[in-house]
Amino acid sequence: MSTFEFLLQGLVAAMEPMNLLYALIGVTLGTAVGVLPGIGPALTVALLLPVTYRLDPTGSLIMFAGIYYGGMYGGSTTSILLNTPGESASIVTALEGNKMARAGRGGPALATSAIGSFVAGLIATLLLAFLAPYVVQIAIKFGPREYFALMVLAFVTVSSAFGDSALRGLTALFVGLAFSVVGIDQLTGQTRLAFGVPDLLDGIEVTTMAVAMFAIGETLFIAAQGMRGPETVEAVKGSVWMNAQDWARSWKPWLRGTVIGFPIGAMPAGGAEIGTFLSYATEKRLTKHPEEFGNGAIEGVAGPEAANNASAAGTLVPLLTLGLPTTATAAIMLAGFQQYGLQPGPLLFATNPQLVWGLIASLLIANGMLLVLNLPLIGLWVKLLTIPKPWLYSGILVFATLGTIGANPSVFELGMLLTFGLLGYVMRVFGYPIAPVVVGLILGPLAEQQLRRALAISQGDVTYLFTSPIAAVLFVVAALAFIVPLILRIRGRGEVLSQMAANED
Amino acid sequence: MSLNHPTSTTKQRRPDWAALAIAVVLAVIAAVIFFDVARVKGAAGYSQVGPATVPEWIAFGLIGLAVWTAIEAFRGEFPVRDRQELGPIVWVVAGLIAQMLLLNRAGFSIATGVLFALVAAGFGRRKLWLTIPIGIILCLCIWLIFAGLLQLSLPAGPLEHLFL
Amino acid sequence: MIGTGGDPLSHNQKHRVQVTPTEDTALKPFFLASILAGAIALPAYSADYTIMAPAAPGGGWDQTARSLQTALQEEGISGNVQVVNVPGAGGTIGLAQFASQQKGNPNALIVGGYVMVGAILTNQAPVTLKDVTPIARLTGEYEAIVVPASSEIENIDQLVEALKKDPGSVSWAGGSAGGTDHIAVGLLAKAAGVDPTKINYIAYSGGGEALAAILGSQVTAGVSSYGEFQSQIEAGTLRLLAVSSDERLEGVDAPTLKEAGYDVVLQNWRMVAAPAGLSEEQEAAIQADIKKLVESETWQETLETKNWADTYLAGDEFQEQLAKDIASTEQILKDIGLVK
Repeated sequence: MSTFEFLLQGLVAAMEPMNLLYALIGVTLGTAVGVLPGIGPALTVALLLPVTYRLDPTGSLIMFAGIYYGGMYGGSTTSILLNTPGESASIVTALEGNKMARAGRGGPALATSAIGSFVAGLIATLLLAFLAPYVVQIAIKFGPREYFALMVLAFVTVSSAFGDSALRGLTALFVGLAFSVVGIDQLTGQTRLAFGVPDLLDGIEVTTMAVAMFAIGETLFIAAQGMRGPETVEAVKGSVWMNAQDWARSWKPWLRGTVIGFPIGAMPAGGAEIGTFLSYATEKRLTKHPEEFGNGAIEGVAGPEAANNASAAGTLVPLLTLGLPTTATAAIMLAGFQQYGLQPGPLLFATNPQLVWGLIASLLIANGMLLVLNLPLIGLWVKLLTIPKPWLYSGILVFATLGTIGANPSVFELGMLLTFGLLGYVMRVFGYPIAPVVVGLILGPLAEQQLRRALAISQGDVTYLFTSPIAAVLFVVAALAFIVPLILRIRGRGEVLSQMAANED
Repeated sequence: MSLNHPTSTTKQRRPDWAALAIAVVLAVIAAVIFFDVARVKGAAGYSQVGPATVPEWIAFGLIGLAVWTAIEAFRGEFPVRDRQELGPIVWVVAGLIAQMLLLNRAGFSIATGVLFALVAAGFGRRKLWLTIPIGIILCLCIWLIFAGLLQLSLPAGPLEHLFL
Repeated sequence: MIGTGGDPLSHNQKHRVQVTPTEDTALKPFFLASILAGAIALPAYSADYTIMAPAAPGGGWDQTARSLQTALQEEGISGNVQVVNVPGAGGTIGLAQFASQQKGNPNALIVGGYVMVGAILTNQAPVTLKDVTPIARLTGEYEAIVVPASSEIENIDQLVEALKKDPGSVSWAGGSAGGTDHIAVGLLAKAAGVDPTKINYIAYSGGGEALAAILGSQVTAGVSSYGEFQSQIEAGTLRLLAVSSDERLEGVDAPTLKEAGYDVVLQNWRMVAAPAGLSEEQEAAIQADIKKLVESETWQETLETKNWADTYLAGDEFQEQLAKDIASTEQILKDIGLVK
């Protein structure tokens, strides 16, 4: 049978009413757990996987796909509405998405996120189906030096996109970097900056930091304004649905996000959040409405959300073609596959085509089901914002701590939540941007580890870093991204750029 | 180098003490990093960039930023800050601390219910005799859904044990 | 994989029928109803065992704990089993919490493994395995040494030869520093007469990342548990040089390190332990329950679907093996320079 016939067969099986019901249940359950801040798709799938064991292979694959997509989308909803990113890949969504929600544009933000996720998921799943064996050949060429070059590119593009003050943006980034070295150094096993506290040995959890800085820091900041602000936010200004302009401004970011997210997801050490960072930086450079960035630009939601979903499908490329679980979610999926006697590996496509295509078909169905479930609910979701402030913010804190406790029921983790919440508050008071702290925390260790791996492999030879063609190209792009804005500024177009670098707060 | 908008800046005669304090904090963090990673310097292996190198780069960066911050503080280039009310902050922080203390003793519902009530108090709803029970009942429902139905491990206390 | 131990006893069939009505009727067609029914029926049981998985949901220890939960319940050995996750620092955070909070509690169990032995040493953890009562080793995996299929190295002797000539030129990809994979390389270097501090070990965070580096020929060789490499070896993309088991593994076409002349035997095992301060009767009761579990059909099925080898070892024999493992691990970690 050809690729296409297998896919068609899988789709037909997945379209049976009972299987559609399983998909719906999976999406609902996944969303329910995935909305908890701090509980990303990996934990959601791990917690709900046993539920799928009782079904037949087709049904359980479909429910599994539903849980996976539901878990991912749940994080975006709370990022946009409550400013509590559920996982590291939806941190960027919170930046513009929550600003939109505050301005009464929560509906279009949720819609562009849902439709963007769907479009990206659809394209990426098709890319997975037809190009996986070729994509993986390129992905496997990425070694430590190539990843290091990619991280340098991410640093350059992302750090130029934050804040209206170079001093405060850089300070926030370096604070994040300083936190990122806490814990056991992975390459040598040495502890750094843990001060003998066992809870710090694994480092600082990105989601704890993000939830604390965004949700708790902001709650404190709003509380400290006293009774000055209005009691409630106006939930809907204009239409709850996307208008023509929203569509016109969204479709290109969706496609660009997909193009950025898919290959990065396919790289064994890429990571979904890198794709969202790069997509955000790209949209900020290309937008015709730079003044809106930092105040709720729809492109800043559409691009990263698409990138996030595309990279999730990208993760399946090494998993299905090589049996490489490259993310926590993929590792848990692998455990799930074993239930059906499926041993992902290089021979999987050849030995088990029914199941592989069944899975791909299930992903397509679950992706569609997500849209079916969420679009009608948008009207209901945005009503959340009309809750009076005292109840809204107590609810947010209950919710934020619930996620943290669910992921790790430790008092120490709650203490970190409070500490970083206070830090987030102080930074807001002094006009520091928040996002660079989280960016530093995520990118710092990745860049450091890859640099040190590369140097260890070359036994200290620095030229090794630049002698691979892929790494060299990435370094050149990074250098251009750094130098071109400088030249533009010298040529007197600086005001355009400083306008583009509007503060996120 | 600074890209501050002129509107958000006031030219003060005397230094901005709070901003100076930030500069000091940054310098202190840098010092702590230098002090702590001195222990692990020897363990580099084959890469000349060892476990101490990158933290040191970060610490140098922080020192540079501390100096820069101090200069802006003396020039009074930090943005004007709104008046902050401390009362509500104390309520919210008290709520989070209460939750931490109660979580493993009284269980999820009571601890988080108290957090709910204290945060609401921070936003002006001070009827604790009403909000604490409401919060506890709400959190018990949450517990039943997430711990009972969805298998999340949330600490159980006397209230939860009634349903276990 | 070696599938020894636990002959399927016929009375287990009866046990399966005895499963409580809630379990049986509930979990069939519509699981939401099932969980609801389960939740309603819960008060009828007392919590028989609470198993701590000192790791986040999804990992090996968590899977072991949850498989124990399922098997104990389905075999009717225990009415209600809860799993609690306490992640962090190679299991030492969970272990410390377990040792202090559950002392003398005959209903508490913790899952652990060889990784914990190393983590306790490298983290200088105040609570060690001496502060709990090890019950039994349940399952284990052996380490495998591989090179990419395109590599010039054909066998383990050639690899060791290269290592002897210039230890720095042989880069090894494996899991985190001080973990089982690192220890395996250290032991091999030592057995071959190479200074263990000179090995060029490149630590990766997950099995997948290390595997990608090996497949992409970024490193000379790779070390991980055999299961991580199995499908690649079968597909011919990786060449298996040696395994760290005592005897040749069934269906695995490679010598053991011992056979090749390097005295290295290393098993990355998983175990279950009870708190300290139990009476002899209490400990014996837990031993009996675990023995019943290991011999049960459900557990054997689990081992098979998950591709886990049955390396059950209980009581004094296990304690003895554990003491040996701790001593040799401490020595090699000192030799590598990770423990002072």
